[in-house]
Amino acid sequence: MTNVTIAWLILPFLIGFVVYLVPKLDRILALGMALVSLAYAVQIFLLASPLNIQLLDSFGVSLIVDRLSSFFILTNALVTAAVVIYCWQTEKTAFFYMQIAMLHGSVNATFICADFISLYVALEVISIAAFLLIAYPRTDRSIWVGLRYLFISNVAMLFYLMGAILLYQAHHSFNYAGLRGSPTEAIALIFLGLLVKGGIFIPGLWLPLTHSESETPVSAMLSGVVVKAGVFPLLRCALLLEEIDPIVRLFGVCTALLGVGFAVLEKDTKRMLAFHTISQLGFVLAAPVVGGFYALTHGLVKSALFLIAGVLPSRNFKQLQHQPIDSKIWVVLVIASFSISGFPLLSGFGAKVLSSKNFLPWQIIGMNIAALGTAISFAKFIFLPRQKSILNRDEIVKQDEKKKIQSGFWWAMVILLGGLVGANIFYYQAYTLQNTIKPLITIILGWLAYFFIFKKLAIKLPRNFEKFDSLIGTMSLILILLFWMLWAQFQFST
Amino acid sequence: MLEACVFATILCGFLGIILKQNLVMKIISMDIMSTGVIAYYILIASRSGLFTPIVGNKENVGYADPVPQAVILTAIVIGFSIQALMLVGVMKLAKNNPTLEASAIEQNNTP
Repeated sequence: MTNVTIAWLILPFLIGFVVYLVPKLDRILALGMALVSLAYAVQIFLLASPLNIQLLDSFGVSLIVDRLSSFFILTNALVTAAVVIYCWQTEKTAFFYMQIAMLHGSVNATFICADFISLYVALEVISIAAFLLIAYPRTDRSIWVGLRYLFISNVAMLFYLMGAILLYQAHHSFNYAGLRGSPTEAIALIFLGLLVKGGIFIPGLWLPLTHSESETPVSAMLSGVVVKAGVFPLLRCALLLEEIDPIVRLFGVCTALLGVGFAVLEKDTKRMLAFHTISQLGFVLAAPVVGGFYALTHGLVKSALFLIAGVLPSRNFKQLQHQPIDSKIWVVLVIASFSISGFPLLSGFGAKVLSSKNFLPWQIIGMNIAALGTAISFAKFIFLPRQKSILNRDEIVKQDEKKKIQSGFWWAMVILLGGLVGANIFYYQAYTLQNTIKPLITIILGWLAYFFIFKKLAIKLPRNFEKFDSLIGTMSLILILLFWMLWAQFQFST
Repeated sequence: MLEACVFATILCGFLGIILKQNLVMKIISMDIMSTGVIAYYILIASRSGLFTPIVGNKENVGYADPVPQAVILTAIVIGFSIQALMLVGVMKLAKNNPTLEASAIEQNNTP
């Protein structure tokens, strides 16, 4: 199994280079790579015990492969496959597929590595590949958005490196297990890096602009899997160290509320989805034990939603309300929105139930409010006007052209939404009457709140926090906050 | 003393990222910050001694810890490549924003 793991880990990078040498095979190779990951994830899921791999000697690279990673790898595989298929008929160059392959490979690496330096390398490769993907259109705006992303993540990673060396000083090892008994400032610095990278809480506010201004397939990829690369190590650490667990949970609740608060008031489809990603990451963190399943459902549904938002006629909700959309698109949109609001029959429901079973008592109120907010913000999508018939011939021609581009889109939807329905098997126990009623009530309350309050509400939130300088500045504030939180935690627990 | 200098470097770099307006200056500040971090790694590696860990005829000397040095070498390469990438991005941006002021670019490019 060790050899298989290493071969699988290296494969995307090899494919990345081969794609550049043989541009004709780009899409097939990229798709094949995603399928290999899929097969690998299934294989890990069936493993009885977690796989620990130590490469070289005690200072070498250590990997842990277990069920938690298999959920994340599965997400990565499905989203990558869907994105490649979505791009099949577009005129993307081999360079694009090469970056997709690199991104896929480095994200996979974060999901199995077990020491802080391998994680650092993987995260930096992610930053570079993501920057190149964001800047792919070569417009001024895309370059600026990419540059801002690269800058922020690099500064965060510098803090992270400082934390890593402090950890090494205490234990002479970079292993995750070294977090136990390492100095408070080391943990605070490492966590700051991961929080920024994962787009969590206030330092994660770089995320909305980056995700909403990238191209459709890229934002699907970023929102579906790349942010998970920052969240996954946090989950791992929370599971390893019970002292950290409450802090991670607290950040989860705060993030869920913050993200959903912005999402409810947002008037732009892609920005709303991006803010909603922040809040869903909070859900993942709020119940670390079952975070994997939640991350799987969220990754699938969010990339589906971003792909759908890409084919909608407008990005503004106000305009969309006067402009009927094709009823076929509406159907997939509604399926995805229902899943994310936690409607039964789709796996978003199972994930919500499973997470809420694992919340601590003090988390429940916050998470219920966040779930309500989710229902409110997706009511915006569900109640969009739709139309069936096309009126004149010009529009038919137009529609036909559109359909040609969109056949890839439909296949991508089949993969992602099929995955959503299929994922129900992981937690079929959720289907009891009691469990079913609660999300339904939440959804109905959310819709009522939408119709009576939020539809008319027009508050424009200030975007000061998303400015570049304030993003960097908040990093230092959050660092101090983290330090005191951890310090207090360790004082009281010992 | 050395440690204080290292932290001062890191802090200077960090403040430079926030306070400097010009995008190139921001990138240079980031470089200063990463220089500080690298120096910190070297400092910690030299806690156990200053000799290069290579087998020689001297005995009982304090060897420097090779692991942090090996690790930071990777980080230097990564940091270098990221900076190169950023500077290319800045060159592209400079065509339409010759002053390269971050706030102006930000205003032009946010919806």
